[in-house]
Amino acid sequence: MAATRTASRAGEIFTTLEYGPAPESHACALAWLDTQDRHLGHYVNGQWLKPEHRSSVPCQDPITGENLASCLQAQSEDVAAAVEAARASLENWSTQPGAFRAQHLTRLAKAIQKHQRLLWTLESLVTGRAVREVRDRDVPLAQQLLQYHAVQAHTQEEALAGWEPMGVIGLILSPTFPFLDMMWRICPALAVGCTVVVLAPPASPTPLLLAQLAGELGPFPGILNVISGPASLGPVLAAQPGVQKVAFCGAIEGGLRLLIQEAVWDETMRRLQERMGRLRCGRGLDGAVDMGARGDAARDLAQRYVREAQSQGAQVFQAGSVPSDSPFFPPTLVSDLPPASPCTQAEVPWPLVVASPFRTAKEALAVANGTPRGGSASVWSERLGQALELAYGLQVGTVWINAHGLRDPAVPTGGCKESGSSWHGGQDGLYEYLRPSGTPAWIPYLSKTLDYDSFGLALPSALPAGPETGPAPPYGLFVGGRFQAPGARSSRPIRDSQGSLLGYVAEGGAKDIRGAVEAAHQAAPGWMSQSPAARAALLWALAAALQRREPNLVSRLERHGVELKVAKVEVELSVKRLRAWGARVQAQGCALQVAELRGPVLRLREPLGVLAIVCPDEWPLLAFVSLLAPALAHGNTVVLVPSGASPIPALEVCQEMAALLPAGLVNVVTGDRDHLTRCLALHQDIQALWYFGSAQGSQFVEWASAGNLKPVWVNRGCPRAWDQEAEGAGPELGLRAAWTKALWLPMGD
Amino acid sequence: MMAVTPSWLFLSSLSAMAFYLDLSWISKIQVNKPAVLRRAEQIQARRPVKKEWQAAWLLKAVTCIDLTTLSGDDTASNVQRLCYKAKYPIREDLLKALNMHDKGITTAAVCVYPARVCDAVKALKAAGCDIPVASVATGFPAGQTHLKTRLEEIRLAVEDGATEIDVVINRTLVLTGQWKALYDEIRQFRKACGEAHLKTILATGELGSLTNVYKASMIAMMAGSDFIKTSTGKETVNATFPVAIVMLRAIRDFFWKTGNKVGFKPAGGIRSAKDSLVWLSLIKEELGDEWMKPELFRIGASTLLADIERQIYHHVTGRYAAYHDLPMS
Repeated sequence: MAATRTASRAGEIFTTLEYGPAPESHACALAWLDTQDRHLGHYVNGQWLKPEHRSSVPCQDPITGENLASCLQAQSEDVAAAVEAARASLENWSTQPGAFRAQHLTRLAKAIQKHQRLLWTLESLVTGRAVREVRDRDVPLAQQLLQYHAVQAHTQEEALAGWEPMGVIGLILSPTFPFLDMMWRICPALAVGCTVVVLAPPASPTPLLLAQLAGELGPFPGILNVISGPASLGPVLAAQPGVQKVAFCGAIEGGLRLLIQEAVWDETMRRLQERMGRLRCGRGLDGAVDMGARGDAARDLAQRYVREAQSQGAQVFQAGSVPSDSPFFPPTLVSDLPPASPCTQAEVPWPLVVASPFRTAKEALAVANGTPRGGSASVWSERLGQALELAYGLQVGTVWINAHGLRDPAVPTGGCKESGSSWHGGQDGLYEYLRPSGTPAWIPYLSKTLDYDSFGLALPSALPAGPETGPAPPYGLFVGGRFQAPGARSSRPIRDSQGSLLGYVAEGGAKDIRGAVEAAHQAAPGWMSQSPAARAALLWALAAALQRREPNLVSRLERHGVELKVAKVEVELSVKRLRAWGARVQAQGCALQVAELRGPVLRLREPLGVLAIVCPDEWPLLAFVSLLAPALAHGNTVVLVPSGASPIPALEVCQEMAALLPAGLVNVVTGDRDHLTRCLALHQDIQALWYFGSAQGSQFVEWASAGNLKPVWVNRGCPRAWDQEAEGAGPELGLRAAWTKALWLPMGD
Repeated sequence: MMAVTPSWLFLSSLSAMAFYLDLSWISKIQVNKPAVLRRAEQIQARRPVKKEWQAAWLLKAVTCIDLTTLSGDDTASNVQRLCYKAKYPIREDLLKALNMHDKGITTAAVCVYPARVCDAVKALKAAGCDIPVASVATGFPAGQTHLKTRLEEIRLAVEDGATEIDVVINRTLVLTGQWKALYDEIRQFRKACGEAHLKTILATGELGSLTNVYKASMIAMMAGSDFIKTSTGKETVNATFPVAIVMLRAIRDFFWKTGNKVGFKPAGGIRSAKDSLVWLSLIKEELGDEWMKPELFRIGASTLLADIERQIYHHVTGRYAAYHDLPMS
């Protein structure tokens, strides 16, 4: 009977030549779940943790809806237990020699290699993703990540001298993430000596399996702990004492936006549709499937978007071999969407591609950069000159030329704008989990009394305080290359430590900040396009000017109550800083060699844009220059708020800058620091903000800057040794002053 | 059901084809090699074919084989053995088990040197079948002989009874960019073939770049080739997936521009049953089901058939065959 059935099928298939099912057995994934009696807890300190009296959620196959296991939901105590385990193992782990940690990571890579089938079937089973994607890309890359970071750990003492591990790292994973995203973050953290607590979303067994593989290696069970629970536990994790950093891993890339030049529109659309028509969608565990399913929620999201796009007049093309039943959704190409329609503005959901035409490369660049997102993009063109120009102009973390989606552990992957400002992979990824040696650990302290609504809102009124003694300081806000009267038309008195009046400085406000940011934006394109040599020359010219003005600056500092000897050192060091950054600016960026690619990957250091800096009260000249120099060296334009107590030396420097620097490159606004900080933090068009002041001010800056996710650097009220090389001119400043872009250049004819 | 007499014999390609020479079709072409390499790598892992599907696909592959012997020591006897194997490529009992014994499963053709065409025609006649005889020609494999003798070679092979002619192109013309001259030469091959089918071997291993492969493919099609073929099997690099992708895209572009379907023949280095499945899925993915038939797809191979037969044996019996279990070719 069986034989005839086989036979008859063969004849039929011989004619139709259809693809058959190619199921990947997931028996081992189920067997693994069985080892836990289909009841998953948390994996903490090398053991399964299954506390009593917890609610649990089912882990379901997103395609069949079959219940695979039930997963316990963590509560605060479980988070605390995990953090405690990570803290306990931190000392032992972080003090091991790098070479030792390297061996441990290599062993984990081997463990993954030995159990890869379990890993890929489990991941595909519970996420619905196509198994070939997990098997052929994610699993090998996970091993490569471990191996790459093992090498980094091995050379840590040499290559990363002067840095130390941050401590316990909290990692919050979003509900739809591939396990690989977790690997991108835990590998560098573990390599440099941090320990990790992962908060995985409910019902995600793969992180637990990885933790178990790591835990079973032996000596350091507590370095990787995984708890599953709702996102609401995020703040609990962040507030645990000892947690030094919380990394958040957002949702995986959704749909795509495609810009096609009008001249090749028809041809490209035709080829695209042809290729989409051959995509096969189905159960993720089928080896011959290109696309799995991501559950009902993702399908409904796509469905809604398509319906809305259609109602707004878009053309919709759907193709591919797709099972008609839920939760599958065919690959969809949306075109002719009017530019102003809401769908054009919205984020494109998976698995959709929205195509729109453009006329010139310049226009394409404007459209591509005109979104708040800045993750990755690819440029397809046979004209390398044009492709490179676009690639350099795109404000995204990764650009591939004539390729898409390539990843390598040695290449930093990050983003700008709302796509975040942290990097994974490469050297840049390591610094995410390091701090300069000697910097104090972060104590999670949030003042409950800080009122975000009123912080720095009111401007204290400044009244005349008598006549100025000695030479009057330069007066005005230094904006757009000249001293200008403040919008408020009022001034604040500056006194020395004994209380006698030194002079009046302009009282800046919201409108002045706006003006300063505008001036900085106008100067930005010109300054960015300057060659490093030209930037260095200007910094050196400024250094020479400061040197000429030394007696003047020393006497200003003395009048602020600085000892003569110290004042002289301060001016000297300031001159040195300008020269040092001028020299460093020439050695930026590099080319990386990547295993999978013929051709280089360029690691570019890109200016942030307009950088706002609130200078500390101490070291009024040196801190001002130490912060200004790296910012300028990396091609940023700057809005500075100088020392509140002693702003006059900075204004003296402005007099030199007025003569030397292009207008708008540096803008200095004096006034009430809290008020100006508020204005800067709430400004959406500032690309980064450095704040050196009170703990409260730091807290406010972090809160307010979330509005455009601009990178911030705050000191949380801790003073910095600006006269020391490490803190005043260390590599940390250079890292903060620019962002990294990876440019992939495949080659071959 | 497959006709015993292959229908493509009666397609008069000479009259049906219109000829084009539009150099603008190739002037702007630039092949993105890294992307082609990636696609080539992916295609090998993305479409596994298993169980009955595998058996059916393998039988389809058998019907697309140009069973080939191109050796200096070919004689009437081994050519005769080859022809017999072409007629009976898979053991009868295995086909019966699959209920495919009455589907007329033979290889698509036998392919020999011009001097062995007579032997092949005679042997096939004796075996009582109409499997076409393909002959290589035009100074195979290097093509470095005078045009006059190359054309004469075609005519003689056709006279001897070859109904398909596998010609090699003049690589010199490609490498020096003489596309018009290449077109003219292939046009003359086309004329010399008369009613016989023209398969143009591009010898892609010697063309220098994928962009040249595309251009040569396009020229060969414009000049009226019925098939374009990757290689002679005598170059150091033969049928590879990257080259195939470029040629298949050229075939698709030509079809989109003219409505004419040109066939594709990879040859050289295709030895395992698994390879043949990947080649079939590559055709299915890039060109579609209509190309998955001997009229438009051939595999030039000599040892492949033995491996396919072994796999079918395993599928039917559940055992791996010993060397002596299956008849040699």
